[in-house]
Amino acid sequence: MSAPAILQVEHLSKSFRGLKAIADVSFAIAPGSITSIIGPNGAGKSTLFNLITGYLAPTAGTVRFNGRPITGMATNRIAELGIARAFQIARPFRDISVRENVRIGALFGKKGLRDVEATTERGMKLASLAHLADRRASALTVGQLRHLEVARAIATRADLLLADEPCAGLNPTETAAMIDVLRQIRSSGVTVLLVEHDMPSVMEVSDRLLVLDAGMLIADGSPHEVAKDAKVIAAYLGTPEAS
Amino acid sequence: MSLVLQTVADGLVLGGIYALAAVGFSLIFGVMHVINLSHGVLVLIGAYLALVLSNSLGVDPLLVLPLVMIVLFGMGYCYQRFLIQRTISGPPLASMLLTFGIALMLQNAMIWVFSPDMKNITPSYAFDSFKIAGLTFDAVRVSALAASLVLLSCLALLLKFSHLGRLIRATAQQTLAAQLCGVNVRHVYALTFAVSAAFAGAAGIVIGVILPFSPADESLWTLNAFVVVVLGGVGSPAGALLGGLLLGVVNTLTAQYVGPSFPNVTMFLMLVLLLLVRPHGLLGNAFSASR
Amino acid sequence: MKRSPLSIALLAAICIAVLAAGPFLLPPFYVRVGQLMLYSAGLGLAWSILGGFAGYASFGHAAFIGVGAFTAGLVENSAAGLGPLWLLPLGLIAGGGACAVLSAVVAYPILRLRGTFFAIAMLGVSHVCAELTNNVDFFQGSLGLNFPPIAPASADPADFFYWLYLAAGLVVLFIAWWIRHSRFGAGLLSIREDEDTARMLGVPTERYKRLAFVTSAVLTGLLGVIYAHSLGYITTDSVYRDDTNLSLIVYSLLGGMGTLFGPVIGAFLLVFVTQVILARLLDFHLFATGLLLVLLVLAAPGGVVGVVRSLRRRRDKLAGAE
Repeated sequence: MSAPAILQVEHLSKSFRGLKAIADVSFAIAPGSITSIIGPNGAGKSTLFNLITGYLAPTAGTVRFNGRPITGMATNRIAELGIARAFQIARPFRDISVRENVRIGALFGKKGLRDVEATTERGMKLASLAHLADRRASALTVGQLRHLEVARAIATRADLLLADEPCAGLNPTETAAMIDVLRQIRSSGVTVLLVEHDMPSVMEVSDRLLVLDAGMLIADGSPHEVAKDAKVIAAYLGTPEAS
Repeated sequence: MSLVLQTVADGLVLGGIYALAAVGFSLIFGVMHVINLSHGVLVLIGAYLALVLSNSLGVDPLLVLPLVMIVLFGMGYCYQRFLIQRTISGPPLASMLLTFGIALMLQNAMIWVFSPDMKNITPSYAFDSFKIAGLTFDAVRVSALAASLVLLSCLALLLKFSHLGRLIRATAQQTLAAQLCGVNVRHVYALTFAVSAAFAGAAGIVIGVILPFSPADESLWTLNAFVVVVLGGVGSPAGALLGGLLLGVVNTLTAQYVGPSFPNVTMFLMLVLLLLVRPHGLLGNAFSASR
Repeated sequence: MKRSPLSIALLAAICIAVLAAGPFLLPPFYVRVGQLMLYSAGLGLAWSILGGFAGYASFGHAAFIGVGAFTAGLVENSAAGLGPLWLLPLGLIAGGGACAVLSAVVAYPILRLRGTFFAIAMLGVSHVCAELTNNVDFFQGSLGLNFPPIAPASADPADFFYWLYLAAGLVVLFIAWWIRHSRFGAGLLSIREDEDTARMLGVPTERYKRLAFVTSAVLTGLLGVIYAHSLGYITTDSVYRDDTNLSLIVYSLLGGMGTLFGPVIGAFLLVFVTQVILARLLDFHLFATGLLLVLLVLAAPGGVVGVVRSLRRRRDKLAGAE
């Protein structure tokens, strides 16, 4: 790996009452990339996100962001360092407009000098929401709400965006639009970590794939390599012996 | 030593009545997350109805209990169906304020009808008492406690074994799923409220037999119910009983050993502390299993 | 729709001038009603910083009125040698300070509760304070406390307190306005809408909630100190009032929850209705208040501001369609 990693996950484990949701997972993410985490249902993808963003405390292991350990830090402190998250089930501030939603991201998020209004406009533009700026969040469609999640997260001036299934439940047109947004975010210099189920989009957009199964990292490589990995195929389809 | 035992025994008797007065409040809170600030009014309506009925029929106040419960059952059903139901989907404050408004109106109405003065229901055995193992028990208090325990057990059995009980529990746990299975949720909510009101009325009679009451007491009984629920846990008769007995004992002990005007301080201190330590009470929420 | 800052400043100046002229124009009864309206509006605004802006509706803010009033009274009585000019500032500092300490301590545990649990726990706090004031001899709650007169001899005390309430109300309004338009206010709004998401976006939710709680408590306490002076003599029951606990919610609800002017409009309306219109129906007073509450919840859950806004939105939509 040439550049120093923006995110380093080292021997991370999480158990829920003895059940290992994440078992000794380690990986590092290079800045400026789109990395996707895939895996069957219950593989531990969302738990991993919750551990990185401080929503859950790990049983063991550390998470480093730009070399700095962030394990056990409060969620809002982690956001101040520059990690943002877009939820799968959009959680907009319903009673206020799109612009005000994004503006709250711009007012808070990563610490440092800021130009709130410009950041707000830029966030809406990156997520192609500028035409809906004055609409109330509660009046948006599911697809638009996903864009709002991304816009608000980007407006925090995060260096790392964790996007939880941004394409789930979207139709092909909306999916294409979302992939376009993610690409633009990457080219603006933000590193993206993605959990996604929609395989065609994953293959299209990712620079690298991490495959989780039963809490363990079973494959790591370019989309092309991973698609041919026997362990991955077995995890998704089941091994002939086992079934 | 015997003073301590006597105080605890008095507390337990009082606590059984607190439990009965709180169980309906607890049920509504558990099933539909409504804080019924008019609960105390329903309790007092029970007491006044018993006063009027037992005087005019010339029978023991505990004998008019079924009649009072039926009247309040009907009132409760309509109250929920036509008023509270409209606020169910709104913010939690909406139902709280609605029931508070109703409480004010009914309190005012009771003042017109019954005057603001203290009243009490005096059964024939009002001044009898007996001794067990050196402790003195008033006949009224013991019969009131017995009535409370019987009624609480009836409600527990109703919730556990009857068809209505199953409907109520299913609706509380998974409102949407119950709806999809063909349960008429509005009807079940209204029935739950009706049951709650009926038990509030019954509690009113029991209270009326042992304590004087006036329209201004309604907020006291609502607050008592809230404390009992926070102490014991939401939704179950067992939780109400535990909370009620605790509150009763703590109240009599503080009155005896700290000072007669301090039970309220300890009660609210207990309320605040318990909310902080265990927001769902000692027994948790009886309906939260699958939430 | 946007008006220029100049016209807003002009409008504000006219409103203040009209309000300040009140005692010259109104008969004494209405000066008293005006006092109560201004005092209630101030309280409603102070409550709204926590309850409206951050969504933590307290059912026990009378605690701070009482703590502020009693602390001020005890301190002022022990410093009776001071001139009347110094007594009110001294009382305000003491009362506000006591509320700041109390709220800062209570905030840590109690702000972990949400929704109705928070509301009721605050009611508990209010009752604990009231019962202690009443039963611990030092506070003289059951006996009552006298307040030294502070109105200058040249002014009618009723007029003097009217202006004092007006000034205090404007200060609270300014603080609320400033919070509303600051980063702090945006953070509180995000907490009201969805606390977990707010934290995820980097809003220091715990610190903001505590700050809003203490601000709201101190402002309420300061108003309580003035109120105690205007009464001249207080007991536990005259400052720790459950109807105050309720009214503070109703002001916001009637005017429009979470809006800047909602609590002001709500307080003016409710005080006017109860003091002027319903005062004649003494026997029906509770009934009428209850009925008002029921109608309000069922018919206009967004309050006056909500109704105006939805009318305006409809008009804009019609205008846009043409």
